[in-house]
Amino acid sequence: MPARLGVDIGGTFTDLVLVDERSGVLRVGKVLTTAKDPAHGVEQGIQGLLDESRVAARDVHAAVHGTTLATNALIERKGARTALLTTAGFRDVLEIRREGRYDMYDIFIDPPAPLVPRHLRREVEERMLADGTVLRPLDEAGARRVISGLVADGVEAIAICLLHAYVNPGHERRLAELVDELAPGVPVSCSSDVVPEIREYERASTTTANVYVVPLMARYLEDLERRLADLGVPGQLYVMQSSGGIVLPREARRFPIRLVESGPAAGAIAAAQAARERGESRLLSFDMGGTTAKACVIDDGAPLVAREFEVARADRFKMGSGMPVRVPVIEMIEIGAGGGSIARVDRMGLLKVGPDSAGADPGPACYNLGGRLPTVTDADLLLGYLDAEFFLGGRMRLDCEAARRSVEEHVARPLGLDVIAAAWGIHRVVNENMAAAARIHGIERGRDLRTYPLFAFGGAGPVHCWQVARVLRVPRILLPFGAGAISAYGLLSAPLAFDFVRTHRERLDTAEWATLNRLFVEMESQGRALLARAGVEESDVRVARVAEMRYLGQGHEVEAAVPDGLLSAASLETITTSFEAAYRALYHRLPQGVPIEALNWRVTVAGPAPNVRLSGATQTGRAADASSRATRPGGAVGGDVSSPPTCIIIKTTRKAYFAETGGFVDTPVYDRYALAAGTEFTGPAIVEERESTAVLGPGARCRVDERSTIIVDVPA
Amino acid sequence: MEPVTLEICWNRLVGVVNEQATALQRTSFTSIVREAGDLSAGVFDRRGYMVAQAVTGTPGHINSMALAMKHVLAACPLESLRPGDVLITNDPWKTSGHLNDVTICSPVFRGDDCVAFFASTCHTADIGGHIFSAEAREVYEEGLFIPIMKLYEAGRPNESLMAILRANVRLPEMVLGDFHAQIAGGAVGGERLLEFMAEFGLPHLEPLADEIIERTERAMRQAIRALRPGVYHNVLTSDGFDEPITIRVSCEVKGDEILIDYAGSSPASRRGINVVMNYTEAYTTYGVKVIVSPDVPNNEGAFRPVTIAAPEGSILNVRHPAPVAARHVIGHFLPHVIAGALGQALPDHVMAEGSANIWGIQVSGKDVDSKAFSHVFFASGGTGARPTRDGLSATAFPSGVLGTPVEVIETIAPLIVERKALRDGSGGAGMYRGGLGQTIAFRARTREPFVCSVLCDRTRHPAKGFLGGEAGAPGEVIIDGVRPVNPKAEQVVPTGAIVEVRLPGGGGYGPAVRRDPELVARDILEGYIPA
Repeated sequence: MPARLGVDIGGTFTDLVLVDERSGVLRVGKVLTTAKDPAHGVEQGIQGLLDESRVAARDVHAAVHGTTLATNALIERKGARTALLTTAGFRDVLEIRREGRYDMYDIFIDPPAPLVPRHLRREVEERMLADGTVLRPLDEAGARRVISGLVADGVEAIAICLLHAYVNPGHERRLAELVDELAPGVPVSCSSDVVPEIREYERASTTTANVYVVPLMARYLEDLERRLADLGVPGQLYVMQSSGGIVLPREARRFPIRLVESGPAAGAIAAAQAARERGESRLLSFDMGGTTAKACVIDDGAPLVAREFEVARADRFKMGSGMPVRVPVIEMIEIGAGGGSIARVDRMGLLKVGPDSAGADPGPACYNLGGRLPTVTDADLLLGYLDAEFFLGGRMRLDCEAARRSVEEHVARPLGLDVIAAAWGIHRVVNENMAAAARIHGIERGRDLRTYPLFAFGGAGPVHCWQVARVLRVPRILLPFGAGAISAYGLLSAPLAFDFVRTHRERLDTAEWATLNRLFVEMESQGRALLARAGVEESDVRVARVAEMRYLGQGHEVEAAVPDGLLSAASLETITTSFEAAYRALYHRLPQGVPIEALNWRVTVAGPAPNVRLSGATQTGRAADASSRATRPGGAVGGDVSSPPTCIIIKTTRKAYFAETGGFVDTPVYDRYALAAGTEFTGPAIVEERESTAVLGPGARCRVDERSTIIVDVPA
Repeated sequence: MEPVTLEICWNRLVGVVNEQATALQRTSFTSIVREAGDLSAGVFDRRGYMVAQAVTGTPGHINSMALAMKHVLAACPLESLRPGDVLITNDPWKTSGHLNDVTICSPVFRGDDCVAFFASTCHTADIGGHIFSAEAREVYEEGLFIPIMKLYEAGRPNESLMAILRANVRLPEMVLGDFHAQIAGGAVGGERLLEFMAEFGLPHLEPLADEIIERTERAMRQAIRALRPGVYHNVLTSDGFDEPITIRVSCEVKGDEILIDYAGSSPASRRGINVVMNYTEAYTTYGVKVIVSPDVPNNEGAFRPVTIAAPEGSILNVRHPAPVAARHVIGHFLPHVIAGALGQALPDHVMAEGSANIWGIQVSGKDVDSKAFSHVFFASGGTGARPTRDGLSATAFPSGVLGTPVEVIETIAPLIVERKALRDGSGGAGMYRGGLGQTIAFRARTREPFVCSVLCDRTRHPAKGFLGGEAGAPGEVIIDGVRPVNPKAEQVVPTGAIVEVRLPGGGGYGPAVRRDPELVARDILEGYIPA
């Protein structure tokens, strides 16, 4: 029986999922991440999961991998000793940046130090002009001396970023050849390959970050491939990119910077998959964990993709404090709002929650692990949303008294509120913060979130989804089964996809369509060839073209679709209409009589989305011991021994706080594992599963569908 | 209003102005606005009090816009406004100190009631008159002066004003395009504000504004009360246009108030480096805030406990029609002169002097196809060293204006930038070293000479160190290998000649002998200081 394997390496845990493609049965494992030698932990986790699920290694015909290793290397500065080659006069571009400060009022801030120190930033004589003509040819003799000097200095990777190379890559290519000749084996990245786009700082930053992690990622992926082979897994290894597509290790080794956000991307891909399965054209993915919450708009079964991202921020939640990387990345907004977010009263006498977090250590006050500051989890406990005896399925007891003392001392007393009002305040403020962030995310993309059902997951997502849904005025909430496995599951539903971009400035009304056709054919045939090599049938290939356009004279582009096939003057109207619609959605009005110009032309060439259906219940195993449990499709209750086999769906009742009822009410607590398809109930209600608890307020109308998703109608 | 709801409402308001600013920047036609971020955006109540500001922007714009709204309301009282009206002005004395900054204000109506205003100030692509320089002798030469008036009346454009604008500015499409962007920002903000008010059942913004302003004011006063009372003096010298300018300040900390007086500062200059009172107040408030209360929000309440005076007719409070185009050259010194005074009370909260004003490099002429061009870009020197770390190299302070990418400059103007590099050895020595300045060298692709104006300073009076730190390197302007007599003057540059600007470094903090030897070794390895 053919199976697919998904492996997601996170900071603390490595999640594994194994899906039987015929039955749709999903098995989940969790092991501690072995930070020093990550492939080792993965190998052990896979072995354990295969053993427990009695799946033969030879049946695994594909393994999809998501990892934060590249991101961590950038944050911890553990990449290669990297050099940067620039046009003479511009070696400081990485350090001068854009000359700004990311906080206007704090004089103590520092930007992140450049990945390449100044003495390893070397210059070569050459110069291109903005239109791609050569002002000064490349001084090859000088370049050879510079490269040999770097070899003598023991550099392990070389980035090349020359001015205007996005228009004419000639000098960069020649330099790369010289590096290959003089420093064989030293990886080299050209800015014209990594990110052929205007703006030298952003391009240099991206190119440098890319090559900085190339040796590390290459070693790791080779190691992983070898270990999979040793385990007897014959299947191809794929790697998840931040854009949500998967690629072969060969591509991942060349452009590891495109993997930076692959972990969070997997969660959004899972939400997109759920949207497609359910025929929802729109969905708002809402993932709230211990430290952060992430929101992501899903349209027509696909998440939005942004072109820019920041890594290794000096201040995690301050825009502009990190290194910019121009790579396609699933567009989501992340804010410091999680179960561990700390509540405090600021000097304005106002209640603030986050962005700082108590994390897992010392953790919320109620963990009794040394944390004394009140957190969102403490508030949730006091409000009756969490069961002190059933946290993480009973693996950890929570201390109500500690939570009460901490909320009393740090929030209630300073604000002159009673403890419950203070806890309710914490709950409300964190929900507002998340809703505000989600709303800005929607508005930046011209989306009205009131028409987007909320897909809630992550450890704390289901606890907070009710209030967030109310604030955003969304019509419905979807609560998938097994919130903890969602990200790893996303790995298995991602299609094989390759992204391409070419910068070619062109006014639409005078466009040279022949040139554009050539660019598109070039990008598309490259993509088709890569897919063919990976065994995708020609008939299954999907191509999506997008142009980044703006009114002549503007500096920010708006993306709009470009039709398939041969372009000609006749395409002008279609492209113009599609651009105007996108522009109007964002900014309401169109400037009159200004020509439109296109800057970047993009193509995504993708294979089919794998036909993986998460049918029936899933279950996650216990942390750190690689346990896994099987579940069966289509049923109310997995056939698993640990799930109650009967129809006792209400475990108990407990008092929970709802503002709508003006205080605590007796609230039934449902057992998630006992909820059969078709079951209906109304709020107030609490639904418990091992890794998360859903809280649904008065007026909620809930039903369970055949995929064990709980659909909640939110009254207007 | 109870604190939890207030916190939520306040957050929403900040979200609304950020959306306003985002829409504005994304639809702007000017690189200064979208690449350099030379703009501000905020929401005001019906009394003209600034309630929230966008996180983008630059203090000279934000704080002066906060003062401008009161003038706008005095000129156009509430009852004279109709839905669809949009107001405009670039009156330097009522807004941000020079004609190049245009403030556009959109009243927000619910039915027939005006409930709030959205305003934004942007550095426009061109305003006619002289090119952006300090050369003028009267404000009349500096461009078109637009008194407070309606740009749109009940949704209809003021065609007379549009015609005058088109006839007087060099780049009418860009200028009017940016007005359009500012209006779009106001429209986006207005829509969100009305939704927010409806959701929370707020008939008026004022009760919420009062809560926000009062709490801010209280926090600000509390922060001031923590300072050691006393009168602190400082003095600083700028190159001036043709003769040195003295900026003298006394800061009196008295209970929960700060009184700042610039008595003793130089009289107005004959050239355009003069500062209007609005702009003096804007940068003074900012200078106090970064030292005393960086974490208190910036709104009407933060301004109230600080009283600012400057003698009328002095360079910090000029009378009409003095020339003012390059007012930031002097204005950007104010946070430094304040830091030197208040630093005597709070040495751990201030940095040494930095290069201060952002340099503006303006070029205009005819390209090889005889097409006229006019382009301005900005660059920053080093900031002063701080009590616990080195200064920042090539970083704007106090301005928040960004550099424009070289590739963008070369795409939109016929310039070739030959070099943009940190200026080795330019940071003042100290236990903590001042930030390095930068060197930019460029030439133009023209068939005939072109005009270049460098709005610079600290070419004769470098940034001083603090507590024993040494001064940073002074700035330099070199045209065709020659140092012009007056670097601030407009220069005619021969075809193909190189213009080289060397921006000043920041001052050091503490004596250099106490510097960590490891940092010295690093500085030598990286070439930050000469070996």
